[in-house]
Amino acid sequence: MVVHPERKAQRALQRLVGATLCPVVVVANADALTTIVDSNTVVIVDLAIAQACPELVQRPAKAWIAVPGEGLGPADPEVITSLLTAGWTHVIAHGMPILAEELLATVQKLVRDDAFGLEKYMAWGAEVRRYQLADARDREAAVDALAKDVVAVGLPDRVGSMVSVIADELIANALYAAPVDADGTHFRRGEPRDQGRPLTGRDQISVRWATDARYLAIEVRDRWGSLDPATVGRRLVAGATPPSGGAEGGMGLPLAYACCNQFVVATAPGRDTEVVALLDVRFKPTDLGRAASFHAFVTTAAVPQEAGDP
Amino acid sequence: MGPAGPVIYFVGRLDEAANLGDVGTVIPPGHVVLDTSGLTFVNSVGMREWIRLIRILRDRGVITLVRVADVLMAHMNVVREFAQSVRIASFHAAYVCNACGAEATPLIDVMQHGPALAAMQAPRMQCTECRGVMELADFPERYLTIFKA
Repeated sequence: MVVHPERKAQRALQRLVGATLCPVVVVANADALTTIVDSNTVVIVDLAIAQACPELVQRPAKAWIAVPGEGLGPADPEVITSLLTAGWTHVIAHGMPILAEELLATVQKLVRDDAFGLEKYMAWGAEVRRYQLADARDREAAVDALAKDVVAVGLPDRVGSMVSVIADELIANALYAAPVDADGTHFRRGEPRDQGRPLTGRDQISVRWATDARYLAIEVRDRWGSLDPATVGRRLVAGATPPSGGAEGGMGLPLAYACCNQFVVATAPGRDTEVVALLDVRFKPTDLGRAASFHAFVTTAAVPQEAGDP
Repeated sequence: MGPAGPVIYFVGRLDEAANLGDVGTVIPPGHVVLDTSGLTFVNSVGMREWIRLIRILRDRGVITLVRVADVLMAHMNVVREFAQSVRIASFHAAYVCNACGAEATPLIDVMQHGPALAAMQAPRMQCTECRGVMELADFPERYLTIFKA
């Protein structure tokens, strides 16, 4: 289902979604939705319509995806913020051609219920590099190695610097925020971060990255499945203002989000969480949307494990 | 020039190993200058420590930041309370040369470019490799929100 007021944009979006071989219905406004949308429908909505009717996302559907409006150009960051605050879990910030790549991957992940793996964002042929952390204290070494590897393939130091921040925050989140006990308490949140801890069993995390000269993707996966996709978007844009005193401010994920162009969360509740941060390395940053896209997937399907995984 | 004070230098990583609250207690009361050009990495825990330090120092006098590292400058523009707490004299930012593609982090003098920065316009710089024109390699908001008029 495509809801967009512009005929040219409608055609472009219909072709894009049609590439999945799913039936596509195109309408010009939100009024037409009430009778056609059901829990199996993926609804693609113009950002302006989504902003005017943010409550749409509360209606049952497989997913609501907000896409750029006029001319399918980059989105206004304030609109992205308002939709994430309203609880939208799929918001695309970038215009063509990134929009096409991002929308196709998103719709296929939803339709196939296959949400995990950075390979879905890479062109065929891109090699995936993996780091295994044996101990929580290996985080700094893994981040340094990743940043050096990224620069070694020819990407600029600026990207290496961004990668350092993103990887560090995502790994720290997997190590200290993800573990939960039976009561849902995040029992490692206050743990000293300079303390060693063997990463075995459910504490194992995997860190992978790849680039195809369009995107650089960093993926961090934990075995807890505790990140709430319904609220993480709000946290990303709530502002990275830490509270007074020594309490955790939750600044890590907002900083990682601020450093990337697309932030993708996949959760198999109680089993796995994967965060993929994508940096566009084709275009000048100023040619892209100033805000990053956001996607949150929830799946009950089996999560494919890699060789060497538990 | 206005208030100055002792200069404190920051070098290396600003992360969980940095305890800046303790640093704040040993800095004498009054105005202070913080030079962070030696910072190479800042994460969210490091930012919390940085905020703790600024909150301690701002009640004692004027905090002047000089040669703010690129990595710190970008994070400071995400956290909203800095604009009211510090005075920035100069900072590094990521630039790219339109002609040869070289990247660099030149030093921007805030006094010299103040009105443009307040209007969210980054000054053009000269490329040290080809003498071409370098422009800010990112959205102005990433570096200049803190100066917004």
